[in-house]
Amino acid sequence: MGHGERGRSSKKMKYSGKDDQKMKNIQNEEYYLGDDADEDSRDGEGEKKDRDYSELELKPDHVNRPLWACADGRIFLETFSPLYKQAYDFLIAIAEPVCRPESMHEYNLTPHSLYAAVSVGLETETIISVLNKLSKTKLPKEMIDFIYASTANYGKVKLVLKKNRYFIESPFPEVLKTLLSDGVISRARFSSEPYYGGDGFTVGKTSGELEAGPGELLNEAELAAAAEEKETHSFEIDPAQVENVKQRCLPSELNYPMLEEYDFRNDNVNPDLDIELKPHAQPRPYQEKSLSKMFGNGRARSGIIVLPCGAGKSLVGVSAAARIKKSVLCLATNAVSVDQWAFQFKLWSTIRDDQICRFTSDSKEKFRGNAGVVVTTYNMVAFGGKRSEDSQMIIEDMRNREWGLLLMDEVHVVPANMFRKVISITKSHCKLGLTATLVREDERITDLNFLIGPKLYEANWLDLVKGGFIANVQCAEVWCPMTKEFFAEYLKKENSKKKQALYVMNPNKFRACEFLIRFHEQQRGDKIIVFADNLFALTEYAMKLRKPMIYGATSHIERTKILEAFKTSKDLNTVFLSKVGDNSIDIPEANVIIQISSHAGSRRQEAQRLGRILRAKGKLEDRMAGGKEEYNAFFYSLVSTDTQEMYYSTKRQQFLIDQGYSFKVITSLPPPDAGASLSYHSQEEQLSLLAKVLNAGDDLVGLEQLEEDTDGMALQKERRNRSLSEMSGAKGMVYMEYNSGRHKSSGQQQFKKPKDPTKRHQLFKKRFV
Amino acid sequence: MVNAIKGVFISCDIPMAQFIVNMNSSMPSSQKFIIHVLDGTHLFVQPHVEQMIRSTISEFRDQNSYEKPT
Repeated sequence: MGHGERGRSSKKMKYSGKDDQKMKNIQNEEYYLGDDADEDSRDGEGEKKDRDYSELELKPDHVNRPLWACADGRIFLETFSPLYKQAYDFLIAIAEPVCRPESMHEYNLTPHSLYAAVSVGLETETIISVLNKLSKTKLPKEMIDFIYASTANYGKVKLVLKKNRYFIESPFPEVLKTLLSDGVISRARFSSEPYYGGDGFTVGKTSGELEAGPGELLNEAELAAAAEEKETHSFEIDPAQVENVKQRCLPSELNYPMLEEYDFRNDNVNPDLDIELKPHAQPRPYQEKSLSKMFGNGRARSGIIVLPCGAGKSLVGVSAAARIKKSVLCLATNAVSVDQWAFQFKLWSTIRDDQICRFTSDSKEKFRGNAGVVVTTYNMVAFGGKRSEDSQMIIEDMRNREWGLLLMDEVHVVPANMFRKVISITKSHCKLGLTATLVREDERITDLNFLIGPKLYEANWLDLVKGGFIANVQCAEVWCPMTKEFFAEYLKKENSKKKQALYVMNPNKFRACEFLIRFHEQQRGDKIIVFADNLFALTEYAMKLRKPMIYGATSHIERTKILEAFKTSKDLNTVFLSKVGDNSIDIPEANVIIQISSHAGSRRQEAQRLGRILRAKGKLEDRMAGGKEEYNAFFYSLVSTDTQEMYYSTKRQQFLIDQGYSFKVITSLPPPDAGASLSYHSQEEQLSLLAKVLNAGDDLVGLEQLEEDTDGMALQKERRNRSLSEMSGAKGMVYMEYNSGRHKSSGQQQFKKPKDPTKRHQLFKKRFV
Repeated sequence: MVNAIKGVFISCDIPMAQFIVNMNSSMPSSQKFIIHVLDGTHLFVQPHVEQMIRSTISEFRDQNSYEKPT
């Protein structure tokens, strides 16, 4: 398990290290106690017996082979093997990556991952023979059986949209018969279809698989499979029933999951869109590879492509659109990213300005011509309430149109109830989901398998770092001990609602933050983003350090002004951001992140914040291995020890650790000799800060809530506390107007949260972008 | 006249001392166990509470540490 395990156990070591310090002198036994407890909880112990792989038989030439395949579906890949690249491409197609540290990767074969494999055109025999070729050990029988069992039915049935009629297609007539014996599907069958012969399937020959060009990175087996002509049988189904039929075919029901493909080259019903990639748009190798998975056989497959933030997801999206050359509906999470997508389309492709339009609450650009690109937000499409007349017209047009490609940015938001209906509202031939973080805190991520399609490609973060495509980030967790007074308050029962505010406002944390800002600004000339979810802390920190801040209620104009200054001015090197900065704000200049408070245990947020600084910086040769700078970006997470924050912090890091990142623990910040050069040195200052925290209303010290933040809602659902006055309605607008000073802004933010921006009156819309 | 009281001398970091003090003050007065708070990092407590302090602290620590589900 190599590094993965090591990464985790070093985490444990930190704890035992802490234990020592804590209990140093009570009695020495504690050492053993603590160590034993850790030993037990280490995930190996209990399961060691299941993971005894000593029975696996080594092949004589195992040294030359890159991976270990184990009976329970786990596969371990040595990344230092000369065959790593080929093995990686293969494994990523058939298995789910579990943990990918530097020299050893862990993968897991799951029914879903095998479904993805057959959907990109691999056949069961190919999977087994290639796996056998690569494995150091004889393939365990269990694994072979598992692959057979999982792929037996996958890929046998395809749902094809041809000339706007839905067909269920299969090379095996007996499979179609099985399907038709099911009530739901036979009812959905199009009755007007003329019958041919006894079983009534339309038989056609397809040599379509040959269309894939040689440049598409197909492996030999795939080409061989494509070369032979195939006979396919099909029957037509009612478009209105497609959704039900798809669900009926899921593994949990009939177990004939349907592959969805779009034969866009033979679609002469929908008008073509005149769009080409500009010559300067050179997709990088991994972008090329992910696209080849999507267009493997000349048709477009629906599915999900996972690339880290900053690795160029938008170019993949634009390239896909340029290959399909049909109308594109592009969905993003908010207005800012809508603008960015529109910009990316214009940047990378030859699309004319009048062919692309944005549809947000602010800009309702009309769609002209018969094909084009519409960029909008999930909210705009999914919104169920009353709309203004012109947006109603646009949305009607959107519903009635047939889209060649439905491009979904940040696709992990789609499983949320509110957003999943956009898929049924809009009629699209092919769906492409893009994301960096295919994790959710609720367990709905697997819904994407049938909502959109299988995961087509997932890039390895560390490989991209090595290739210099994304920044090499040093991640660090800074441990800040609580001060005596703050911890005493933290422990009191009556302060349970203020716990978060107390550990975020911990003076030691503040000093560490101030020290880091000063160090990076002065010594390295870096650009720093400070993240705080807690609005009270955000305002306190920003005021005290005299830095600009941006949060939910900051107007668009002010945001633009601050960010512009941050990008260009030499004097403004630090900006404070609340949750709004997590994904929508693009600041390529920044290379340091300091996180002072975060959203409970959200793994996605951590990864997304890291993504803010992943865009590659500096010269390429400096970034490559052995270059001038080993690290060119820094990610600090400040954590108050002995508080809940420790728990959250570890949980949040899991996603990045699985991607192969390791977190370094720093305990001695600020350095002891910093003394009075940093704020809150004296006890009086600390006490007055404490009083401020304690006197602030419960609702002021809480978290900022944003509409699009569905992940947070899942995490916060049971934990959210509201003040009594708020619930009783005493916290009215009038009261808010008299509330002056610093708290006012955060108060307004609190008040704003239940409002849907689309419901707001026209006059106010512009103010809340 | 010298008074001798048997007890346990605890030396720990600042937050843990606060934790123990807080534990003490949440007890009914008959069960209060701290004999002396010597300074920020040193306490003198009654001898029989040692195990209880240990277990409470380890419980507290467990709450604050995350185990990756397997």
